[in-house]
Amino acid sequence: MEEKDRKKHHKKHSGPKADKKRKRHLNDLGLGDDEDARKRNPKAFAVQSAVRMARTFHRTQDLKTKKHHIPVVDRSPLEPPPVVVVVVGPPKVGKSTLIKCLIRNFTRQKLIEIRGPVTIVSGKRRRLTIIECGCDINTMIDLAKVADLVLMLIDASFGFEMETFEFLNICQVHGFPKIMGVLTHLDTFKNNKQLKKTKKRLKHRFWTEVYPGAKLFYLSGMVHGEYQKQEIHNLGRFISVMKFRPLTWQTSHPYVLADRMEDLTNPEDVRVNPKCDRKVSLYGYLRGAYLKNKSQIHMPGVGDFAVSDVSFLPDPCELPEQQKKRSLNERDKLIYAPLSGVGGVVYDKDAVYIDLGGSHEEVRPNHELVQSLISTHSTIDVKMASSKVSLFMDSKPLGSEDVENQEFMMPKEEKQIDLKTGRVRRKAVFEEENDDGASDEEEGQDEEMSEDEMDGSEGGDGDNDVEGENDKEVPGQELGLRSAKRLKREETTEETAVELPAFADSDDDLEMRSGEEGETDLDESKEEAEDQGDEESDEKESSDSDSESSSRRISKFTPCELGRKDKERRENHNLDHRFSKKVVPTTDSGNCTAEEASESEAEGSSEEEEGSNDDSEVEESNKKGIQSAPEKNVDGVEWAVSKAVEDGDGDDDDDVENLLKEEEEYGEDNDFSVDTAGALKWKEDLTQKAAEAFLRQQQSAPNLRKLVYGTVAEDADEEDDADEELGGLFHVSRPDKESKQKANALDCSKFPVETPQDWDLDEVMNSIQDCFVTGKWEADKDAAKLLEEDEELYGDFEDLETGVVHKGKPDGSEGEEEDKEGKEPKAGEEEEEKKKRMDKKRKLKEMFDAEYDEGDATYFDDLKGEMQKQAQLNRAEFEDQDDESRVQYEGFRPGMYVRIEIENIPCEFVLNFDPHYPIILGGLGNSEGNVGYVQLRLKKHRWYKKILKTRDPIIFSLGWRRFQTIPMYYIEDHNGRHRLLKYSPQHMHCGATFWGPITPQGTGFLAIQSVSGTTPDFRIAATGVVLDLDKSITVVKKLKLTGFPFKIYKNTSFIKGMFNSPLEVAKFEGAAIRTVSGIRGQIKKALRKPEGAFRATFEDKLLMSDIVFMRTWYPVSIPAFYNPVTSLLKPVGEKDTWTGMKTTGQLRHERGIRLKQNKDSLYKPIVREKKHFNKLHIPKALQKALPFKNKPKNHEKKAKPTKDQWRPAVIREPHEKKISALLTALGTVHSYKIKKAKLNHRQHLKDYLKRKHKEEEEKFKRQKEAKKKLFRIMGQKEKKKQKSSLKGSGEREK
Amino acid sequence: MASQPHALSYVGCNFLRQRLVLSTLSGRPVKIRKIRAKEESPGLRDFEASFIRLIDKVTNGSRIEINQTGTTLYYQPGLLYGGVLEHDCSPHRSIGYYLESLLCLAPFMKHPLRIVLRGVTNDQVDPSVDVLKATALPLLKKFGIDGEGFELKITRRGMPPKGGGEVIFACPVRKVLRPIQFTDPGKIKRIRGTAYSVRVSPQIANRIVDSARSILNKFIPDIYIYTDHMKGTSSGKSPGFGLSLVAETTNGTFLGAELASNPQGQGTAVLPEELGLNCAKLLLEEIYRGGCVDSTNQSLVLLLMTLGQQDVSKVLLGPLSPYTIEFLRHLRSFFQIMFKIETKPSREEPQGGEKVLMTCVGIGFSNLSKTIK
Repeated sequence: MEEKDRKKHHKKHSGPKADKKRKRHLNDLGLGDDEDARKRNPKAFAVQSAVRMARTFHRTQDLKTKKHHIPVVDRSPLEPPPVVVVVVGPPKVGKSTLIKCLIRNFTRQKLIEIRGPVTIVSGKRRRLTIIECGCDINTMIDLAKVADLVLMLIDASFGFEMETFEFLNICQVHGFPKIMGVLTHLDTFKNNKQLKKTKKRLKHRFWTEVYPGAKLFYLSGMVHGEYQKQEIHNLGRFISVMKFRPLTWQTSHPYVLADRMEDLTNPEDVRVNPKCDRKVSLYGYLRGAYLKNKSQIHMPGVGDFAVSDVSFLPDPCELPEQQKKRSLNERDKLIYAPLSGVGGVVYDKDAVYIDLGGSHEEVRPNHELVQSLISTHSTIDVKMASSKVSLFMDSKPLGSEDVENQEFMMPKEEKQIDLKTGRVRRKAVFEEENDDGASDEEEGQDEEMSEDEMDGSEGGDGDNDVEGENDKEVPGQELGLRSAKRLKREETTEETAVELPAFADSDDDLEMRSGEEGETDLDESKEEAEDQGDEESDEKESSDSDSESSSRRISKFTPCELGRKDKERRENHNLDHRFSKKVVPTTDSGNCTAEEASESEAEGSSEEEEGSNDDSEVEESNKKGIQSAPEKNVDGVEWAVSKAVEDGDGDDDDDVENLLKEEEEYGEDNDFSVDTAGALKWKEDLTQKAAEAFLRQQQSAPNLRKLVYGTVAEDADEEDDADEELGGLFHVSRPDKESKQKANALDCSKFPVETPQDWDLDEVMNSIQDCFVTGKWEADKDAAKLLEEDEELYGDFEDLETGVVHKGKPDGSEGEEEDKEGKEPKAGEEEEEKKKRMDKKRKLKEMFDAEYDEGDATYFDDLKGEMQKQAQLNRAEFEDQDDESRVQYEGFRPGMYVRIEIENIPCEFVLNFDPHYPIILGGLGNSEGNVGYVQLRLKKHRWYKKILKTRDPIIFSLGWRRFQTIPMYYIEDHNGRHRLLKYSPQHMHCGATFWGPITPQGTGFLAIQSVSGTTPDFRIAATGVVLDLDKSITVVKKLKLTGFPFKIYKNTSFIKGMFNSPLEVAKFEGAAIRTVSGIRGQIKKALRKPEGAFRATFEDKLLMSDIVFMRTWYPVSIPAFYNPVTSLLKPVGEKDTWTGMKTTGQLRHERGIRLKQNKDSLYKPIVREKKHFNKLHIPKALQKALPFKNKPKNHEKKAKPTKDQWRPAVIREPHEKKISALLTALGTVHSYKIKKAKLNHRQHLKDYLKRKHKEEEEKFKRQKEAKKKLFRIMGQKEKKKQKSSLKGSGEREK
Repeated sequence: MASQPHALSYVGCNFLRQRLVLSTLSGRPVKIRKIRAKEESPGLRDFEASFIRLIDKVTNGSRIEINQTGTTLYYQPGLLYGGVLEHDCSPHRSIGYYLESLLCLAPFMKHPLRIVLRGVTNDQVDPSVDVLKATALPLLKKFGIDGEGFELKITRRGMPPKGGGEVIFACPVRKVLRPIQFTDPGKIKRIRGTAYSVRVSPQIANRIVDSARSILNKFIPDIYIYTDHMKGTSSGKSPGFGLSLVAETTNGTFLGAELASNPQGQGTAVLPEELGLNCAKLLLEEIYRGGCVDSTNQSLVLLLMTLGQQDVSKVLLGPLSPYTIEFLRHLRSFFQIMFKIETKPSREEPQGGEKVLMTCVGIGFSNLSKTIK
């Protein structure tokens, strides 16, 4: 059955396969191919010309090296971030439709509205982030900088539009990403021929812009408002197998295309001052290079910021783990687009957000904003209230009420009645703090929250409560009532959740968790996150029971997450009374994660450090030098103690550390008394013990990392905070943190030997014996050993000179023997054997490779090899470490999904947030955040219609930034002088300098006159590259100083009016001067009399009317104007209307101010008077002397011909007229005839002559032949005669 | 409007050089408070002022603010400029004090640096010019800083307290540095050294050489110690003598040690034999500490690794000196870079003390001052 249906196999007639077959066939027949010709006929291929040979060789070499690129280290991460696909094109060309179709193609999901980037899994090894690019030039510029692939949509029915070309030019400047053209609206063509022609025309134009052969895709038509499935599928295939070239800027800078934004500002701060600066967290995949925490970033359209915190989150759109199947599972086809509201559930570092679906959409229009507000919690005070602190070992734990009683700064109360809910709100106003909202919360939610705190297993609803409570605080929104309702609703859902069977399967998990609250650790929480990740995808598959899954999610909240959340909140709100230092015994710490624990430890230990540091100083002052330890220094002691304290808090179970427990506890106990009581006696003891501990530590496993960097979570700022916190309770006059480093000690890099060893002793000497070449070598380097190995490798050989036969050991024999000896170590032996064999093989292979490659190993190959090695090392070095510590060393690596917190963002960024505009976080390198003078090489774009004027503000796009600045154009003279130009040259490169952000040399830029409004013209004004960065500039402009001679001798003149004082003259002595007429001279010396006059010599005598001038160069100053384009801060819908400083021309135009021009420089019509020459007058005497020829002839004027002299006009009669006309006609005919006859005659003559000539020739020929014949006969006759005469004589002789 | 990055704040005059150098390279301003605030003579000392002046000379556009008493210093770095310069160092510290920082900065200038430094060439506190020449220069070469104009020439020797020495340091400019993998120090193949003496008997140098050899000969026969006796104008203004030793390994590691005599009028006179012996022992001590870089240059190598491309660099060091440890902390605060520090316990075979393997990923630093044409 099946066989019948199967298609018949068709033989290939063309293509490589067919060629191969044909060739084989020919070979079989014995008919050779091209190569055989060379063999058959070697002479035909021999060297003809050495020169040509050399040329062809050179050419091939040139072509070969042309293909080389300078090799770079491949720094692409193992798990790369999603590829950024930017869909760009003019409006109404089908961008969104294409994106929707692509998403549908990859994920089988239909997105209704696309806002912001959409991340999808497109294959086993590839994810895509698709983003649409509008026509706003700001967006185009920003996205061109982050794009990996550009899908350039072109409306075929219309042809290319300016936007397309603009985008192409932007791309060219900022590194050229892969560009693929897509032709749409092809169904509008009715005529097939027309279609073909258009396609071809567009393709060729596209090729000239991108590169010849660039891929142009055709989307033929729409079916039900979508592109054809097969075409989209093909496009998808193209995208998901595409390879990308690394772009310099992108690979050297970290960047994030944010796909989510949350406002973390304290809601109370916002309420108090709606315009306060915001704290915002942004999420996205990190791309490019490693991102370091606390580094500087730039957000195009917003400004420069310092990252306040970075953390990585589990990947929301993970690549499927390795699988054998070719296609993706339905489950793995993920989509992640939080701005478009896809997925429903989003995971944060500290919380999970649930989108409750359609019914709530209408109620909460700006869903993002509110959600972000919900996510910020202010219940820390509640926690603080329930937490207890014990300051001393045996003291009663202090509750928050106790502290409040002791507080010196009482909050003033302010009553406010909430208009909506009618609830009385009491606002607590601290003098300097503004977290008053929190304490108000405290009252209302005290019981509730503390309950949540106490049993972590119910953490889920606690979190939601928090959200509900927070809703009430949102200012300017009528959320109060609704949120209350929602709260109730959520409670009910929670109840139902308990009853649901779906909950049951995760029940045990939860129980277990509540059981081991104390030891929840980070790993578990990670697992948890993963679980949830899995479920998320499940949910997507079956998106039918929305409510059920969401309730499941609620129930999934774990105590550990809560704990993390607490911590987060604590940080976020920057509360000044934090007790985390000694919080260990609080109820809170039960569900705190390891992370938090370690942090609190860190803080504790930092305290301890300081304390111990005190000790050591005291000790020093007591002159009890610690000579016993060889590497004794203050830091060491600190470290030991800090370490110890951590152990005391109890996480690690190191044996050695346990040994030290006693001292630690001792130290801990006494820490505070160290500061308060001034007891000295026990201190000595402590330090000694600490010293001992240090020694022991060092012997066992010294952790230098902690010694150098302290604990990881510790930070300088935090320590400061800690100090302040303590300030709430006590004031301890303590030396500063830095004092432990002996702040004012000698600054010397030498590392003196404190306890010199006795180098006369033999043991000591032996300890370094092997550091010398004379010592023992390692096995793999010892010459003797190497020799031996070689022998093994090559086996037996015979020394031909001596005749000695060397026999290699048979390899297996040893092992076999040993096998016979004992069976037990057999496995191990075998393993070893195997290893040995492998080693040997490898070595042989290496040797072979080396030998084989040696022939044409070039510098290029070596370099490439080196780079490869480095890349391998880069990958391998930190591979085995977990992400937490890896991030510390490398920074956050590209491919991670990161959450970046940024503070002090202008409120407009949040208020006017529009997800259609891309948010990019571009990392800045060192000192790229600084400003200075930047020198560029600039060329006006050939399509831009005007030239650029110096000192006109212009908008640059350079690096990540877009900014307005005032450039100066200059040109470099032959002597290296930078001469100012008033305008940029029309078709030439020129230099430009501006004051702006320092960006590495070699970075491309483009300039636009304005980013707002629309113009049919091409908008890109200039392009170029950065050449130099400096803090000063050397642009000069020409300045001519003029003077006038007031006394002229022969070649010397006195000049005045050029300078004002003899001092000025003295400065210019010897300078070259010139008159307008071109007489050159030199300044000699100042004169006394008129101030500023001087004596000068010239090459000729001057005239009093001459103007003398001197050319000087005057340095130009550049206005320090740098104004970033803050287009993202504009209100929604007006983001493309940013205008900065206007040019003077624009201002004048707007206000109708006409420039008052100098009358003299106006152009007037040139009126030239008719030149009137006088008569040449020759004196009479001269006239007499002149020869007659030259004498002026005094001709009398000719009189006018008189009337009778005129000839009368002949007027003919009509008859006569006819006759004359006939006669002329006859005459013409006759003359024509004669002419013709003449021509004919001439022709005849010519022919006749030709014929004659021919005949003559023939005759001549004939005669010649006849003559020839005749002469031959005559000659023969002569010969005969001669012969006969000879014969005759001979005969006669006979 | 480009926000000037937040200034880093420090207390005390210690590690002033590190801070200023790192500030210059990272472009972050730095504020140092309470410089000797509680001492009898508060504020910056002469030699520090001289150092600040030197930094000002090699940079363009840096802003330095010092308060009235000199206890507070604010430094906002400019761009490194370089060029042909001269500088009179304070005789309180040797030229090595200044040169160490210049070694860090010189490869990243706009114009190749060629500077004449005048002052004390050898003293007991700082690494001398001889040792830097023998150890730091080969180290820089490993990072690709090499070529014609790379030299350190001692034209005159000057001993404390009056100095009078002169050194010419020239260094080419590089855009990027090479990453290094320097984990195998190799075996020491030769020991070289210079025994110098100025304004004392030339015989002293020979006495030093003999005594130093007596110890070192037990380890390796390939020892050569030059005697360098300078006369006339090139001998500086004060008498003194000393010895610097350098051990070179098969893999191009240079370990240095040195000792100088007490300056004139300070402390008791030192016997040349004793000095030679002690210096040799110091060298052995340095060998015991081991590593691929000696203790004085630890911070230099770590800095250059930090400023490399975004590649992994590795180096094996001996025990970290307190100066290096502080330097590592500073590196973290200026460049947000942390080193992976692994201790390698000393093995059974006698190879000296325990070693530390330092690994880092470079920050992708590129020379922003260099002009492209």
